Amino acid sequence: MPEPILQTEMLSKHYGGLAAVSDVTLQFETGQVHAVIGPNGAGKTTLLNLLSGEVRPTRGRIRFQGRDITGLPPHVISQLGIGRSFQRTNIYPALTCLENCWIAAQSRERTSMRFVPRSTRDGAVRARAEGALRACGLADAWHMPAGAVSYGAQRQLEIGMMLATEPELMLLDEPLAGMGPDESLKVVELLRRLAVEHTLILIEHDMDAVFAVADRITVMVNGKVLETGSPERIRSSQAVQEAYLGREEIA
Amino acid sequence: MSFYLIQALNAVQYGLLLFLVASGLTLIFGIMGVINLAHGSFYMIGAYLAYWLHLETGNLLLAVVIGLPLAVLLGLAVERLAIGFLYARDHLYQVLLTYGLILIFNELQRILWGNDPHGVPVPDALAGSVPLTETQSYPVYRLFISAACIAVAAGMYAVIHKTRLGMTIRAGAANREMVQVLGIDIGRLFAIVFSLGAALAAFSGMLSVPVSSVYPGMGEHVLIISFVVVVIGGIGSILGAFVGAMLIGFADTFGKVLVPEFASIAVYALMAAILLWRPQGLFGSRTA
Amino acid sequence: MTMTALPRHVLLGLLAILVVLIVLPMFADRFYVQLVTRIMVLAIFAMSLDLLIGYAGLVSFGHAAFFGLAGYALAILQRDVELVSMWTTLPLSLAACALAALVIGWFSIRTSGIYFIMITLAFAQMLYFFFNDSRSFGGSDGIFLYQAPTLELFGTEILDLGRRGELYYFVLGALVASYALARMILQSPFGRVVTAIKINEPRTRALGYNTRRYKLVIFVIAGVLAGFAGYLNALQFGIVNPAQLSWHQSGQVLVIVILGGIGTLYGPVLGAFVLVLLEDFLSHLTEHWLLIIGFFVIAVVLLLPRGIASLLEFRPSRQPVGGEAEVTVQEVRRA
Repeated sequence: MPEPILQTEMLSKHYGGLAAVSDVTLQFETGQVHAVIGPNGAGKTTLLNLLSGEVRPTRGRIRFQGRDITGLPPHVISQLGIGRSFQRTNIYPALTCLENCWIAAQSRERTSMRFVPRSTRDGAVRARAEGALRACGLADAWHMPAGAVSYGAQRQLEIGMMLATEPELMLLDEPLAGMGPDESLKVVELLRRLAVEHTLILIEHDMDAVFAVADRITVMVNGKVLETGSPERIRSSQAVQEAYLGREEIA
Repeated sequence: MSFYLIQALNAVQYGLLLFLVASGLTLIFGIMGVINLAHGSFYMIGAYLAYWLHLETGNLLLAVVIGLPLAVLLGLAVERLAIGFLYARDHLYQVLLTYGLILIFNELQRILWGNDPHGVPVPDALAGSVPLTETQSYPVYRLFISAACIAVAAGMYAVIHKTRLGMTIRAGAANREMVQVLGIDIGRLFAIVFSLGAALAAFSGMLSVPVSSVYPGMGEHVLIISFVVVVIGGIGSILGAFVGAMLIGFADTFGKVLVPEFASIAVYALMAAILLWRPQGLFGSRTA
Repeated sequence: MTMTALPRHVLLGLLAILVVLIVLPMFADRFYVQLVTRIMVLAIFAMSLDLLIGYAGLVSFGHAAFFGLAGYALAILQRDVELVSMWTTLPLSLAACALAALVIGWFSIRTSGIYFIMITLAFAQMLYFFFNDSRSFGGSDGIFLYQAPTLELFGTEILDLGRRGELYYFVLGALVASYALARMILQSPFGRVVTAIKINEPRTRALGYNTRRYKLVIFVIAGVLAGFAGYLNALQFGIVNPAQLSWHQSGQVLVIVILGGIGTLYGPVLGAFVLVLLEDFLSHLTEHWLLIIGFFVIAVVLLLPRGIASLLEFRPSRQPVGGEAEVTVQEVRRA
């Protein structure tokens, strides 16, 4: 069996007395969609923050493609091929949608320390940015200021910016948050397409979406992993149902 | 030995005067989120009011008693008429506006009292010296300054930790938006805090006149040093202002006597060192 | 990408000002030629600070450190190393500023907000007291420059910068060149990253950029440009002294940038002209002109929220120029 693209060993994050994430040991297989679900406050976003380097672990290790990436800063992790979309929309409101993706796409150039406006690389960067915009469904909003488009479009841009960095592993924090049913369908379609050639780690509360795309599901409660398994396993798990206790209809 | 004792007493006295000014500044910045460059001007205004009222009445104590409420009123006026329009705006515009205020206050001072420095004699009741050792004595008035500052500090502590207003102030320093959301009249709170800050600076200026005299531009020097104190101590922290003021008081006083060529640099080097070790100041929170 | 395209009427306004500057020496008396030269130098200094404040979001209160340091470098090179040519003294002075900016920036960029303001002030103050309290650098009196640096090519003098008229046009050229250079840098891939950092630094980091490094580079660029202004300043007045490194000098240029309009590059240029010309005009009317300037500054803050530059941006109609929404982006950015 090929090595998992990402593994964590006893990963923990403590804030003073509070254990946001506790002894999380997980394997994420290449090419799969791995969803992380759980009630609010379960530590899911903190886990993602640990994986993307926004937060440094108190204990434990993270390995990406066999390489130890524990404690590396976010920009290094991004350059290694791990992309991140955020739960709270984290874009450049004053720039156009194209400019948002342009910055993202430009990050994959060998260096951005170029001080002359026109560069032979502009074509490649533009292609990457436009491709990302088309992929995330914003083909008609290129020149609109990102701060002026609808919330749903901003969430799509959030994903588009990540796509423009061409990551192998994608960390998506509640991509469907706040979306209506039509927009959600579009994004689920996008996730399905992405899953073909990339590995996805996905935090979501929308259970329909989770069961539509996930290959494996991890349930977290109070910072710990409760259970990991196939969607069918999780759906029928007694422990998981108790954990949710009437908050979500899983079956 | 007694030489160092005298320098230490000087350092404490200087530090305590700085503390009054800095605590006003840290409150204004910490609670209101306003960078007030004109804070040094209140120090100067206090000093000039003391000088002028002493000229009119012949009594320094009377000058302070009349002058302090005037300074408070002035602070209130500045807050209502100028600063109040800038709460929502970027710090840089507060910098610009209060810079304009500095120009105005400085020029008004020149118009009213001219370019020459003036002295005010120490009040008779506080003149004279207290013997420290067989050979050295220390001026009573300087001890009085320290005592007065400590009294004010104790009063501030009592207000901030034992009264409702103080609780609101502490809450505001920790989380301004929360205080607003809780329905507390932010306008009234800001007016009180600003006037309090102005009063502290003015009082410090008044106390210092018999030892440092009044002169044009005296506000700017205090301003810069107070910002250094506030930043060292951590924005919004009165304790930080106290510790910072003491550190600067000692660094400056002993620096001048031990390494005069580097004394001026010492203060800034100290601040740079502290900021590099703790980027939010000694007692500041990480959200500045 | 059209992130920083100028609206047409702003461009026209700036061109008009340029034309006035070109013909000025032909009808103005020598005092004003000298004054405008001084303003143009100040304008370059202000632009360099706008690179930091308006485009990188780094508010420095110690920018005069580089302004004064370049002047001192020139004076020392002239006095102690006996270099007289601009071809040698200018690059060396700028190199000194770059080095200083690298060191100061490396330490300062670890902090942010008011702490960054104060630590940049601290370094500038340390440099100020170093020169002020020194004996070998003239102390508080400073150092005289016995001659203006020469500008020679193959042994013949191109310009005699000791002459007022030639100095004026040299400085004007320097101003235009500096502006063009700054705009070029801002529209480059590097400039895009810096702009992104100002809008949302954490996101820029998450996208794979070492933001600290970019901030350091723009800090050095701004320091070198400030040094260029300081070099010209020393050249014009023939003297360097600690006041050029003082926090008053840092404060003055900061006020000019905010007054003129942060993040526009041409705003600070306008700010320099308005403030200095106003000072000159008022000082003939009354000896208490500082009072009026104080009220003027307050009035601008309250009435012109985006500085004097916003006057130039007055739009008769809100139609976008051309097909692309460049103006829309511009509007959003200005809001």
